[in-house]
Amino acid sequence: MIINKLKKMSRKQWVVYSLIVFCFVLSIIFVNHNSSFYKQPIAEVLSTHLQSKEKVTDQHNNKDQTYKQSIKAEIKNGKDKGKVIHLENEYSSSGAYDQKYKPGNEIFVIIDKHSKEKHLTGSIKNAKRDKYVLLVGWLFIFTLLFVGKERGFLALISLVVNAALMSFALDIYVISSYKSLVFICSILVILFTVISLLLLNGVNEMTYASITSTLLGIFLTLGVTYAVVHFTDGNGLRYEGMQFLTRPYEIVFMAGLLIGSLGAVMDVSITISSSLFELYEKNEKISLTALRKSGMDIGRDVMGALTNILFFVYAAGSIPSMILYLKNASPLGFTLSMNLSLEIARALAGGIGIMLTIPIAVYTSIYFINQKRKRI
Amino acid sequence: MNALVILSLILLVLMILIGGYRGMRSFISLFLNFGVLMFTIFLMLGPQMNPVIITLISCAIISCINLFFINNVDQKTVTAFLSTIVTIVLLIVLIEVIVNVSMIQGYGEEETEELAVFSLFVGIDYVKIGASVMIISTIGAITEVAISITSSMGETMKHHPSISRKDLFLSGMRIGKDILGTDTNTLFFAFFGGYLALLIWFEDLHYSIGAIVNSKIFGAEMMTIFFAGIGVALIIPITAWINTYFSVKARKKALKESNEN
Repeated sequence: MIINKLKKMSRKQWVVYSLIVFCFVLSIIFVNHNSSFYKQPIAEVLSTHLQSKEKVTDQHNNKDQTYKQSIKAEIKNGKDKGKVIHLENEYSSSGAYDQKYKPGNEIFVIIDKHSKEKHLTGSIKNAKRDKYVLLVGWLFIFTLLFVGKERGFLALISLVVNAALMSFALDIYVISSYKSLVFICSILVILFTVISLLLLNGVNEMTYASITSTLLGIFLTLGVTYAVVHFTDGNGLRYEGMQFLTRPYEIVFMAGLLIGSLGAVMDVSITISSSLFELYEKNEKISLTALRKSGMDIGRDVMGALTNILFFVYAAGSIPSMILYLKNASPLGFTLSMNLSLEIARALAGGIGIMLTIPIAVYTSIYFINQKRKRI
Repeated sequence: MNALVILSLILLVLMILIGGYRGMRSFISLFLNFGVLMFTIFLMLGPQMNPVIITLISCAIISCINLFFINNVDQKTVTAFLSTIVTIVLLIVLIEVIVNVSMIQGYGEEETEELAVFSLFVGIDYVKIGASVMIISTIGAITEVAISITSSMGETMKHHPSISRKDLFLSGMRIGKDILGTDTNTLFFAFFGGYLALLIWFEDLHYSIGAIVNSKIFGAEMMTIFFAGIGVALIIPITAWINTYFSVKARKKALKESNEN
C-alpha cells in the first residue's frame, strides 16, 4: 500500500518530501555535533557513581531523598577537548531544581582553573537540551504534515512567520526603550492577524471580513479589560506573582493579554465568517435574518469550548508553583491569588473577547456579503 | 472593587446575552473546570498517588464537563469522549518519556530568586508534574477538536445516509484539516501571550541563542507548545476513525432492524 502511494506521488511532492527529510537529518546531525559552536565548555557524562544518599525532612514535614553522585565526563570542545573532568552533583528524588545525570547526558560545565588535582575538576552549570527541543519540534512538524498535508504546511509557515515577527518586534522594542510595548504589540497584532488569516484562507472577501472582525474584536477587548483594570486600580491582580520582570509589570501583562486573546478571537471570526460565506455561496438569495441567526448559532456552539481552551492553557502552567506553595504550608487564599489571579484574568479577558467578537463577526460578514451582492 | 469579579460579571452578562441558557451553562462549565483543577492539585499533594494517573482521571472528568455538560449525552459526544481518552493516553506516555530524558522538569536557574523562601525537597516527582502540566494545557483544545469533528461528521451522515465508510472517514479528516490551522493558531497565540514576559527577559539580559535554547524554562515552554500542536493534530485521525467505526456500526444495526420490520 505504501509503495503504491509512493508511486502516485507527483514530482513536486517528491521534491518537498525529500527536502523535509534532508532538513531533518541535517539538523539532527548538526545538533549532535555542535559543541564547537558553544563558547562554554561542554562535557559528555562517561560514568556516574552514587556516593551517598540521605533521607531528608524539611520544616513542613515533607519527606524526600537526596543523593550525591560523582561524575566522570569528557570535555567535547575548547582547548581542553578530549580531557576527562571530575564533577560532583547533588540531586533529590523530586527533582524540582536539581537533576540526576546519566552516562550519555551532555552538560555545560565550568572548569576550575586553580585546581591542584592531576585531572580537571569543575562544576555543572546546566544541561544541554537543544537536541531534545529540536527532536520534539520535528515530531510536531511531522505530525502536522502527516495529518494536515498542505493545510498543516501552511499552519507551520504561519507559525514560523509569526514567531519571527515577534522576535523582531521585541528586538526593536528593547533597543528603543522609549516606545510603548502596548503600541508595538498592537502593530504586531495587526500584522499577525493579516498574515495568519491570509495564509489560512487565501485572498478573498471572507478573509477581509474575518480580518476586520478580528481587529475590531481584539481592540474592543483590550479597551474593556484596560478600563476594568484601570477602574479597579488592579485590585485583586497580584502582579508580584509575575515571573521574569525586567519592565513595568502592568504593561507587560496588558501586552501579553492582547496577544494571548488574539488566537481565540481569530478562531471565532474565521469560524463564523467562513460558515456565513458558505451559506451564501450555497444559496445566494438567503435572507439577512437567516444569516444572522445561523451566525449567532455557530457562535453559541463554539463559545464555551474556546473559553475553556484559554482557561486550561493559562491555568495549567501554574500547577507546579501551586504545589510548591501548598507543600510549603502557604495559606490557600494566598497561593491562589499569587499563582492564579493573572492567569484567570487572562482567561476571562479572552472569554470576553470571544463573546464580543461573535456579534461583530456576524455583522461584519453580513456587511461584506451585502457588498458582494451589490456587485453582482 | 476586585478586577477579577468585574471581569467575570462582564463575561457572564455577555454569555447570557448572546448564548442564553447555553451561555449560562458555558459559564458554569468554567467554574466546574476550575474546581476540577483545584481538586487535581490537592490530590497531587499526597505523595502516594502517581500524578500521571491523577491527571488521566481529571482529564476524563474535564472532557465530561466540556462534552456532556456544555452539549448533551449522545452518540456524537460519546465518540468524542472516547477519542479524547485514547489521544490523552497516547500523548501522556510520549510526554512523560520525553520530559524525563530532556531534563526540563521543575524550575530553571532564572527562577531561583522567587524560590529562595521555599523548601524544594517536597517529595513529589516533578517529572510527572511536568508531564501533567503539558497534558492539562491542551485538554481544552483536544476536546474541542473532537466534538467539532464528530458533529460535522454527524451532519455529513444526515445529508448522505449511504456514504461509504472510506468517504465518511475522509470527510472527518477534511473537517479536521480545516480546523487544524485555526486551533494551532489559538494555542500558539495564547502561549506566546503567556510567555511574553520571559521573551522580554531574554532580550533584556542579552541571552545568546545557545543560552536560550538550552535553558530549562525555554525548553519546557517550547515543548509545551509543540505537544499542544501534536495533541490537536493527533486527535483528528483518531476521532475520524473511531467515529466512522461507530457510525457505520449504528447504520448497519438500524438497517437490520428496518429489514426485520
